[in-house]
Amino acid sequence: MIMRTNYLLLLTILLGLIPMNYTHASDSVPSVFLYSPYTKISVSPGTSIDYKIDLINNSDAPVNADLSVTGLPASWKRELKSGGWNINKLAVLPNEKKDFNLKLEVPLKINKGSYNFIVSAGDCQLPLTVTVAQQGTYQTEFITDQPNMQGNSKSTFTFNAVLKNQTADQQLYALMSNAPRGWNVIFKPNYKQATSAQVEANASQNVSIDVTPPANVEAGNYKISVRAVAGNTSADLDLEVVVTGTYQMELTTPRGLLSTEITAGDVKRLELVVRNTGSSLLKDIQLSSGKPADWEVSFEPAKIEMLKAGETSTVTAVMKASKKALPGDYVATMEARTPEVNATAQFRIAVKTPMLWGWVGILVIVVAVGGVYYLFRKYGRR
Amino acid sequence: MNRVEQPFWVIVNKEIRDHVRSWRFIILLAIITLTCLGALYTSLTSMREAIKSGGVEDTFFFLKLFTVSDGTLPSFVLFINFLGPLLGIALGFDAMNSEQNKGTLCRILSQPIHRDCIINAKFVAALIVITIMLFVLGFLVMGAGLIAIGIPPTPEEFARIISFLVLSVFYVGLWLNMAILFSLCFRQTATSALAALAIWLFFSVFYTMIVNWIAKMLMPSDMMSPYYAIGYQKIVWGIMSLNPCELFNQATSVLLMPSLRSLGPLMMEQVQGAIPSPLPLGQSLLVIWPQLTGLIAVTILCFALSYIIFMRREIRSR
Repeated sequence: MIMRTNYLLLLTILLGLIPMNYTHASDSVPSVFLYSPYTKISVSPGTSIDYKIDLINNSDAPVNADLSVTGLPASWKRELKSGGWNINKLAVLPNEKKDFNLKLEVPLKINKGSYNFIVSAGDCQLPLTVTVAQQGTYQTEFITDQPNMQGNSKSTFTFNAVLKNQTADQQLYALMSNAPRGWNVIFKPNYKQATSAQVEANASQNVSIDVTPPANVEAGNYKISVRAVAGNTSADLDLEVVVTGTYQMELTTPRGLLSTEITAGDVKRLELVVRNTGSSLLKDIQLSSGKPADWEVSFEPAKIEMLKAGETSTVTAVMKASKKALPGDYVATMEARTPEVNATAQFRIAVKTPMLWGWVGILVIVVAVGGVYYLFRKYGRR
Repeated sequence: MNRVEQPFWVIVNKEIRDHVRSWRFIILLAIITLTCLGALYTSLTSMREAIKSGGVEDTFFFLKLFTVSDGTLPSFVLFINFLGPLLGIALGFDAMNSEQNKGTLCRILSQPIHRDCIINAKFVAALIVITIMLFVLGFLVMGAGLIAIGIPPTPEEFARIISFLVLSVFYVGLWLNMAILFSLCFRQTATSALAALAIWLFFSVFYTMIVNWIAKMLMPSDMMSPYYAIGYQKIVWGIMSLNPCELFNQATSVLLMPSLRSLGPLMMEQVQGAIPSPLPLGQSLLVIWPQLTGLIAVTILCFALSYIIFMRREIRSR
């Protein structure tokens, strides 16, 4: 019996609940409401959010609702669009739904935090939340992923940098560098040489930077800072160039004349110039010569202790030609040598015969003619 | 002074007239001119290949007119080397003895002139004839070459050619003096002519053969040290150079081939580092200076000997 009464009680409760539930449902779901699946999203500053919002009409009558967004700071740009139109009102037939887009642009200059706002269509409201995950900036960035480069003094250093305009406006940046004297810095936004670059708001531009060191640069580390300057924003980028030393040497004469004359058996002093055309210090420059046999070549001094980059030193080569050298041209090679580098100069040496035997020959002829003259005097006029 | 020189030039004029009108000279002139034109023809025909071959001497290719031949006929230089002595001998071999044989020498000496005027004038007259002839031939070759190849000689080339012609005059003068000497030594003109011709043939043909033959006999073994080999070669070369034909040959080769830098045997040490390049004229002259000195000295020596013999001779009428 008791069980039966229990069942009856449950039945009555259930019977009582069903109509009660139904009436509750018809109260809590309004006949007209807004719907979006993403009610809370997390973004970074500068991004734009595209909400797709449905206006659902479950009532029996058509609805024509005013659309508005409230609760957002003025710096957030908003746009309501549907079917390609900017809209302020949206009408929906009974038991149908219509979607529209809300486009929001999160400003760059914004504080971290949650921003709540309400999209309303007539009486119905849709609360939405945007969480800005990081502190927004309102500035320019000038960055490269490889700020350090190494090469010798003759190479060109090409840095690939990115210029990011994180302001709300389009900016015209002047590109400049404070390279030391003699350095050449060329900016190439979009791979064309230029002195300024125009960057759209919240866009970035590739800028390649060619750095050419001076011809006689010494080995070492060089800091070159480049700047992109616009009216109210600017960015710096520090580049580092490591120049390795080059070893180059030149051997020549003061006038560059590589030929000379010498009389066979005689000594000739030849002035040579050793020039350090590299970018490193040269030490212990030895001088030597490739000469014809029986010739003697010595150098004063025989060796140069050290020669700084770009400097020259004078050496005298004392050349003694062989007594048996033939008249005409000979080739002698002078060489300056260090463990790192060597330089050679080929000389064309015109050998002349000594006049001594010429005079002896003339003497012989003079004696002969003198003898004939003596005969004339002795026998001639008698 | 004028009175002294006057008879000298009279004799010179007379001698030149005699030479130029003599059949002997005309025949010789014809022979030499023909051979020179032949040489010019051969050099012109082989000029094309000579220019093509390339090399350092290309810059001096006007000189090739005198030195190049295609093998059928000797070059101009070789003709002068061979026929030049003949010219000298022909003009000199009967200078004195024919006058003496005809008895005209006494007649001349009876005139109021110095005795040495006669021999000097004979020598000078023959030398003038030779000079004119050689220069004419040289310029003939140059002119014909100029027409044929159309490229004028450079000053350097011209100077070398003139030097060569002057050298040739000295060379022919040497043989002239030798012939005059023989004309004094031998009474018979035929004997003196034959003697001079014999000497000419000996030097131009046999001397080289004999020296080579003796050198081969005396040659040390193949195993000798290089030092001895060089010494031996130098001695052989020195003996060869006693020949006036050889001296003239060497001198003309250096003069007309500017790339020749030395005569005689060379050692490797001297050649090492040398680059082929033409010598300037001054240096070429210095290279052949010993040859020039030798030729000129022998010429003067021959003249001095003839002079002494003539001046000391007793001249009587027949």
